[in-house]
Amino acid sequence: MSAVERNGNDKRSLDYIRDKCVGCGICTSICPTESLKLGPVLPIARGLVDMDYVNVNKNSCVLCGLCASACPFEAFEFKINDENIKDLDAYPSWKHNASIDDEECLYCKACETACPQDAITIKRTLPVRSKLVTGEINIDEDECIYCGICEEMCPPQAITMTVKEQMERDIKVDEDKCVYCLVCKRACPVDAIKAVCSSCSYGDYRLKSEDAEIKGRSILQEDLCVNCGWCQEICPVDAAKVTKPFEGEVIMDTTECKGDSCHACIDVCPCNAVSLVDNKSSIEEKFCILCGACSNVCPQNCITIKRDKMNLENIRSKSWQNKLSGLMEGK
Amino acid sequence: MPVVIDMDKCGKISNCPGEGLCIKLCEQGALVEEDGELVLYPDKCDDCDLCITNCPNQAISKD
Repeated sequence: MSAVERNGNDKRSLDYIRDKCVGCGICTSICPTESLKLGPVLPIARGLVDMDYVNVNKNSCVLCGLCASACPFEAFEFKINDENIKDLDAYPSWKHNASIDDEECLYCKACETACPQDAITIKRTLPVRSKLVTGEINIDEDECIYCGICEEMCPPQAITMTVKEQMERDIKVDEDKCVYCLVCKRACPVDAIKAVCSSCSYGDYRLKSEDAEIKGRSILQEDLCVNCGWCQEICPVDAAKVTKPFEGEVIMDTTECKGDSCHACIDVCPCNAVSLVDNKSSIEEKFCILCGACSNVCPQNCITIKRDKMNLENIRSKSWQNKLSGLMEGK
Repeated sequence: MPVVIDMDKCGKISNCPGEGLCIKLCEQGALVEEDGELVLYPDKCDDCDLCITNCPNQAISKD
């Protein structure tokens, strides 16, 4: 039995996916051959230079795949015989994820607005408005003097008056738009409008509950999602569930933080977790994924990321376990 | 304490790989371009050190 064996028949390839990379530097710290170099992350994040966050030295890369396994953003694709290792049983797999339960979702769009990566789209179909109100309205055209007051005052713009020539006049109520508020009836100077609102006089019981139903679906784009937890935090009905890639804490010493002069941490954070409080950097741990991008760019070393656990499972190789556990050390 | 620029390492902005990156990063107006040269206004420097950590020529430091 050989001590070291290699089979050159396997085709191995590594691809860097720039759009998924956040410049956190996990890959550069894990690469055993120092083949990955982090570029100028802050100037790239600010759009001052057009470069990739990570540079791959293909001459020194040994195609081990550690970077692809360690990257929580799937910014590296490592393939063996054209098969992505994240789909192979022998390789580790991340257990972080995010999901939105459409059974619970109210389609309020709070998550869509809050998501810092624009990964969520909520499609919804609203009830037909005319089914949520009941009433009757009629304009007596013999009485009507075509003054246009009702048209001007109608809140949902349900009344349309047309005057083609002096005596060729027409007034119509769009009953799909009318909410039977009776403003027109009260304003009409000649009492030409007869209208009643039966929702008000009879209460809600005439309305069918299925007519008020809001239907929809949520679309969460996993390739954009960074599992920051904004959707989970903001959802009013706990329909969004997020498991983050790392567990741990952020230790801040903002004595030297220059606040608004610098704000490098804010600019690189993929999670919109950083803000300035009293002109000092402040990280909301609820939204932080402990990627460490902020810690790397802070010129004053104010930020220490302490990871206690990573949700990467099935690390079979002892040497990979050792290497990956290095990410647990404070940085 | 404001930053110090080593003009030998810095060179002209036209030769800078970052095309005057420090000027773009400095939001205090302490680093500006004047006639193609980098000029430091020490009074405006806020010690954020972004220029130090990002200068592609390692031309900026502190005493």
